[in-house]
Amino acid sequence: MDRYRSLPAVAPASAKVWLVAAVLAILPGAGLGQEYEAPQTPDGRPNLNGIWQALGTAHWNLEGHSAEAGPVVSMGALGAIPGGLGVVEGSEIPYQPWALERRADHAKNWLELDPAVKCYMPGVPRATYMPFPFQVVQTPEHILIAYEFASASRVIYMNRPDFEHPGDAWMGHSRGRWDGQSLVVEVTNHVPGTWFDSAGNFHSESLRVVERYTPTGPDHLLYEATIEDEQVFTRPWKIRLPLYRRLDVNMQLLEFKCVEFAEELMYGHLRKKDGE
Amino acid sequence: MSSPRRIWNRAVAAGLSLAMAAALAADENEAAAARADWEAPRTTWGVPDLRGVWDFRTITPLERPASLQGKAALSETEAATFQQRELARRNKDRRVADGLTVQQDVGAAYNQFWWDYGTELTEDRRTSLIVDPPGGRIPDLTPGAKDRYQTTRAARAGPPRGPEDRGVAERCILGFNAGPPYTPSAYNNNIHIFQSPGYAVLLIEMVNDARIVPLDGRPHLPGSIRQWRGDPRGRWEGDTLVVESTNFTDKTSFRGSGPKMVLTERFTRVAADRIVYEYTVSDPDSFEGPWTALIPMKRTAQPMFEYACHEGNYSMFTMLEGARAAEQTDAAPENP
Repeated sequence: MDRYRSLPAVAPASAKVWLVAAVLAILPGAGLGQEYEAPQTPDGRPNLNGIWQALGTAHWNLEGHSAEAGPVVSMGALGAIPGGLGVVEGSEIPYQPWALERRADHAKNWLELDPAVKCYMPGVPRATYMPFPFQVVQTPEHILIAYEFASASRVIYMNRPDFEHPGDAWMGHSRGRWDGQSLVVEVTNHVPGTWFDSAGNFHSESLRVVERYTPTGPDHLLYEATIEDEQVFTRPWKIRLPLYRRLDVNMQLLEFKCVEFAEELMYGHLRKKDGE
Repeated sequence: MSSPRRIWNRAVAAGLSLAMAAALAADENEAAAARADWEAPRTTWGVPDLRGVWDFRTITPLERPASLQGKAALSETEAATFQQRELARRNKDRRVADGLTVQQDVGAAYNQFWWDYGTELTEDRRTSLIVDPPGGRIPDLTPGAKDRYQTTRAARAGPPRGPEDRGVAERCILGFNAGPPYTPSAYNNNIHIFQSPGYAVLLIEMVNDARIVPLDGRPHLPGSIRQWRGDPRGRWEGDTLVVESTNFTDKTSFRGSGPKMVLTERFTRVAADRIVYEYTVSDPDSFEGPWTALIPMKRTAQPMFEYACHEGNYSMFTMLEGARAAEQTDAAPENP
C-alpha cells in the first residue's frame, strides 16, 4: 500500500499477537478450522438467499459513540441516538488531516448534508447496515440485492472481473466471486456523494470497497468491508458486523419509497402558500 | 404447452383475420412462438427459466388510434407506412425551421438521442397493445374514476402548487413505464428477471424498481398495508408465471385505476429470445370492464445500469421555482 501517504505506526509485536488472539476468540468462523458450511443453492454455491438486516447503530456512526440527544426536539427519547461499540477494526477511521476537518463539518451540518436524509440511494456499504431489511436473490450469473430503504437495488455480476462500468453509480458497480464459503464483491464506480453513516463519514470518487459475506450459521452472515480511498484515508480500513436473517412469519420487504417523505424537506419552501 | 397457444388464440380472437393469422404464422419468430413442441428451458430446480434482460420497446400504442378503428393489425405495406409516419411525428430533432412553434420546440427539451421507444410495431403488426376488449381501447371509466381523473388532470394542467401536482414519474417515485403493469414508453424499456427457488424478481430499469414476487402460496398483505406497486404474489400455471397484485394505494393510478385494482400479469417464454407478457387490469370501481394487453419482450445481451432519478431531479426545483416566479410576475401591477 505504498501509494498511501503515511502508513500506520508499526505496532509492537506483542500487541499484534494479542490483537490476533482477541479477534480469533470473538469471531465465529475466523480460523481454527471451525468454518460453518452453509446449505447450497441448486447450482452448488453457498446459499445466501433470504432477507437480512443489520442490528446496532453503525448507520448512526461506524465508530464507537455515546448515546446523545437527537436533533428533533419533539421526538424526545424516541428521537435520541443510541450509543454503539463501533464496527471499525482498530476503532478509528484513518482519515487524512484535511478529511478529518471535512468530517467535522459534515457532523456539524448533518441534517443539511447527509444524502440519506433526502432519500438518496445510500451506496455501499451504507445500504447494508441501514436499519432496514434487504433481500438477496442468487442466480449463477447475477446476485440481486434489493434494499427496502429508498427501493434501492444493485446487481452483482458474478465471475466477470473484466466487465467495466461506463460511469459512476450511487450503488456503485459490483463484481463478485466465491471464495470458499464467502461471497466476495468488489464495488467500484461510486459517486462521491454518498456517505458511510449519519456522523458525516465520507469518501471520494476514488472509493473502492471489497465486501465479504460469510455464512456463520443458518441465520447469520458475517459482513466485512475493506474500504480504500487514497484521496481521503491514510490506509485501507475495515468494518465488520453480523447480519441477521429476518425470521418473521411471511417476512417480505415492504415499500419504503422515501422520496415522498423527503419532498416537504426539499421542496416545501417552493410550495404555493395558502391563500395565494 | 397450452399457454403460448392460448395467448396465440387470444391474439387471433382479438381481431386478427384468419388470413392474417396464417400470414403471421409464416413469420419465423411467431412460428417459433406457436410451435407446440418448443419447450421453455428450465432452471436447475425445474421451473421455466425466464432469467435475463428483456427489452419491451415497440411503437405499437397501448390503445388503438381512432383512425384505425376496426383494424386490429396492419398489412406489411401499411405497417411500413405507419412506422415511417410515426417516427417522423415523434422525431424530437425537429425545430422551428421544420415547422414547429417556438413552444413546441422548447417543449422538445430532450433531443432525439435520448428517446428510445423502438422503431417498429409488434411483430404481428398490431395497432394496439390492448387485445381485449377487441376494440383495442381501455373501457370507459366509471363515474367515480372520471371524477378522480378530472381532479388529477386539473392539477397537472396548471403551474404546480407543490410536488404532488406533478406525476409520480416526475417525482421519481415510479418510472413512467414501470406501472405496474409495464407499458412501453419513452426510453429504458428493459426488465431484468431473476429467479431463485420460491421467488421471481422483476427489476425494471426505470428507477431500479425491484418487484419481489413470492411463489410460496402465502396470502396477500392485510388490506391495511398499501403500496405504490401493490403487493405481488406469483404461481405457475403450466409454463406461465402468473403474478397477481393487490393492495395498491390511492395515490397513484394506472390509466385511471384505483386502489382496488387487481392486476394479473402473465409471463410466458415462447422462444429462446421471446417472452410474451400479458396483463389484465380488473377494477370494477374504475373501469366498466376488465382489459388485457399483450406485449412482446425480446431478450437482449445488454446489461441495465442504474437509473438515479430522484438524486438528480433538478427539474422539480426548477418547475416549482418557475411556478412561484410566474405568480410573482402575474401579481405585479402592470407598468403604466
